[in-house]
Amino acid sequence: MNAFQDILLCVVVAPAVVFAVFALLWLLGWTPSERFLSGITGLTFSACTGGVAALVWKISSESNITVTFGNWFAVGNYHFPLVLMMDRLSLPFLALAAVLSGLIGQFSATYLHRESGFLRFFLLLHLFAFGSLLAFAAGSFDLLAAGWEIVGITSVLLIGFFERRPAPVENGLYVFGIYRACDIGLLVGIFAMHHWAGTASFESGFPTLTGLRAVVVCLLLLLAASGKAAQVPFSGWLPRAMEGPTPSSAIFYGAISIHAGAYLLLRAQPLLAQSVLASSLVILIGAATAIHGTIVGRASADAKTSLAYATLTQVGIVFIEIGLGWRWLAVAHILGNATVRTMQYLRAPSMLHDYHQMHSAIGGQLSATGKQVEEMLPEKVQLWLYRWAVDRGHLDTIIERWVIAPLAQLSAYLSRQHRTSAPSPTTIRPGRAVHVPTAGPAQRSH
Amino acid sequence: MPGWVLRASFLTSVSIGAPWLAAAVVITFRRQVRIFGCIAALLSIIGSAALVWRAPSGESLYETLMLLFSSLNFGAILLLPRRDSETRTIAGILIILGSTLLAYSTGNLLVLLGAWILSIVPFLWTGWFRSRTWRPAVALLFSTLALTLAIGFIAANTRVVSIANLKGHNPGGVVAFALLVIAAIARKGIIPAQAWVADAAESGPLVPTALLLNGHFGALLVVKLIVPLFPETDHLFPVLSYLAIGTALFVAIRGLAENSPRRLLAFLALSQSACILSGLESRTAEGITGALVHWVVVSVSTVGLFGILRLLEVRFGENLSASRHLGLAEHAPRLAVYFAILGLALVGLPGTLGFCSEDLLIHGTLTTHPLTGLLLPIATAMNAVSFFRLFTRLFLGKRRTGFTVMTDALPRERWILAGIVLFVVLGGLFPNATVIEHSSEIDVVDEAIHTLDDVNRGAGYADNNSFTHYPIVRRSKTSTH
Repeated sequence: MNAFQDILLCVVVAPAVVFAVFALLWLLGWTPSERFLSGITGLTFSACTGGVAALVWKISSESNITVTFGNWFAVGNYHFPLVLMMDRLSLPFLALAAVLSGLIGQFSATYLHRESGFLRFFLLLHLFAFGSLLAFAAGSFDLLAAGWEIVGITSVLLIGFFERRPAPVENGLYVFGIYRACDIGLLVGIFAMHHWAGTASFESGFPTLTGLRAVVVCLLLLLAASGKAAQVPFSGWLPRAMEGPTPSSAIFYGAISIHAGAYLLLRAQPLLAQSVLASSLVILIGAATAIHGTIVGRASADAKTSLAYATLTQVGIVFIEIGLGWRWLAVAHILGNATVRTMQYLRAPSMLHDYHQMHSAIGGQLSATGKQVEEMLPEKVQLWLYRWAVDRGHLDTIIERWVIAPLAQLSAYLSRQHRTSAPSPTTIRPGRAVHVPTAGPAQRSH
Repeated sequence: MPGWVLRASFLTSVSIGAPWLAAAVVITFRRQVRIFGCIAALLSIIGSAALVWRAPSGESLYETLMLLFSSLNFGAILLLPRRDSETRTIAGILIILGSTLLAYSTGNLLVLLGAWILSIVPFLWTGWFRSRTWRPAVALLFSTLALTLAIGFIAANTRVVSIANLKGHNPGGVVAFALLVIAAIARKGIIPAQAWVADAAESGPLVPTALLLNGHFGALLVVKLIVPLFPETDHLFPVLSYLAIGTALFVAIRGLAENSPRRLLAFLALSQSACILSGLESRTAEGITGALVHWVVVSVSTVGLFGILRLLEVRFGENLSASRHLGLAEHAPRLAVYFAILGLALVGLPGTLGFCSEDLLIHGTLTTHPLTGLLLPIATAMNAVSFFRLFTRLFLGKRRTGFTVMTDALPRERWILAGIVLFVVLGGLFPNATVIEHSSEIDVVDEAIHTLDDVNRGAGYADNNSFTHYPIVRRSKTSTH
């Protein structure tokens, strides 16, 4: 391996090493001080950022950097390649992940000072950084899926960060359910690639997939991407995810995690280009999400939810760009959206303070922005639209009524059929349908 | 060191005899039972490890399983709370250990039947591990009856009881095959015999029940008898796979509304271990290897999970429920983390061995059954949701007061659980170096495939490749790991 391959490897692995060491030491009884932990975090992500900068310099003269470790495991004709690859597509995402993780680490050192979950937050931040760097530096869909899953689980654990309140915990469970359901698309899509193309590698897998096979793979990947990017009809989880601490909301739902779905589609762009059906569906979903996001966002009562829907609207437009084949416009859009949203999320808890400062500076109130577009609609339509927006497009209701409730009823029915006649010695309450939270998102920022 | 010490017969005798001897000592003297149990399990580990070491490459499947089960029993005995560390529990666990190792190591049908019967004796005996409900005892007895009839039928027809001599001969024909499948279904908890597993976990002792389930005698029957002995009934094998996949999905749905942690964990263990049968039946190298690795993952994870749940019950009372948040992480943060890692490993978290096994299983099963195989990832996703619900309800939420004892993992428990977690994580990071290397070298793959190849060749299938409805992927001996 040359020096740049070593650097790529170190950039990806460094957060995982920090996570593993601190987690193991904690399990064995040692807890680091806040200062030490945040210092190590700063050092790690500074090194990662420096490494990415070196890779930027290198990539200007080469098309990509690849690190091959052979197979993670191989059985029969099936193998799981362990290949890291950095090209012009993954580079901006790697840079975004490294820089923003460091930034969030520094911000959180103050923001979460003396919080009981300080160590937990930083451990999960490192694990998340590792997952996202792995997903963006993966040379195949197999490895991307591994990073993808890690990002998902850390995201869910951070939504439930304030574990003493039931709402964040229940919302985390809901998001976990949506993630797992949509990830079936990624798993089966990868299987289909292996089955039909013999590999899920970015470079060698695409040329052999054509026609109906390409469409099937694209649709499966689209399911996974839509779940991760909170596209319609899965948008309902995004406001629920705002229950987590603000720094994690910023990096997950303002920057990295929310755009991971778009990255997956960008990686699958050669396949998408072959399928008019899949491309049209991507555009359709993106357009529906953008419209949904902008309407619902206008009826949101709190800052973080408004920001979430603003992000959603932009990600919907990114999907449209990907569907139209405007690859680099989509990348630029993602970079801009991610950085602006991160800043907005981090300032959200201080928004009132910022407004007061601004008003003091200008010596009065800010002038009104003018008429809203929806005011041009008839009053009846406005009312209907408002009710629709307040209930967030009824998306959660639809999923709860048509997916979760039937499953819960079926499960409860089976439970009644198979319950033993003998009284249970360990249960204090009889089985009942799974509780699905119907409460709205966070009413206040943390 | 004298040569006889390293003989397979001696090492096997030590591995199997030590637990039985210790069980007799424990029952007789009733003192220092945990120490006797640990020493016996340790001797079994050493004997099994030596067997693995001296076994020829590619023929160490059963030795590896012996080592795994011995280690599980050692961990379980150490993990047992003091309240449970009594004569009958330790003696029962040692009897299960000895009989399971005997079943793994034997090549004789009658000995296998004897080991099978011995392994269920503690669960039939009132005052030992017998459940308070009727289903577990009936299922175990029914499976034993089916196996007895099958072996009797085979022995009566062939006058042979050596498994090696019966391979590929369809001894006893469809009747014996059907009886063996019924025995496997009843013992493994496959539909329609799935209900006894949750009953056993709920109204029986937790850790011994976990060990009974993780002997995986049903899967052992498939690997040891059904696949190698009955190649001509291969068209019936998919039925077993459909039942296994159906069980995985059915139990996963059933778990969604379950509020008893014991039952829910039993459903998770059952659903995930049902996947083992579908992988074994897939007849692809990926599926079979995935099934065997999954065997390891399910065994290790569920013993850890059941052990942690028992520790929680001892600390916080036996009325734990997933119907509300209990906030136990506040009192026992390390137990919460161990529980989360082991549970997520069970449902295929990346970075753990569960991810590798799920990946291989799904590929293998989908290759053979593209439509029904789709149910496997769906069942796994549901299991993940059920597990996460259980985790959040037990450990997260508002801190509850009123517990008299609020201790996190004790050093003894901490080290054992850390060892289990390290195994699962390191196994996931370096799967080739740990388990897959052994599993992919297994004789069962070659046996199953070679036997079928021979049958196909005899039927004229090999040349025209018309056996494509049943794709058999031979493992490459030269593949680099």
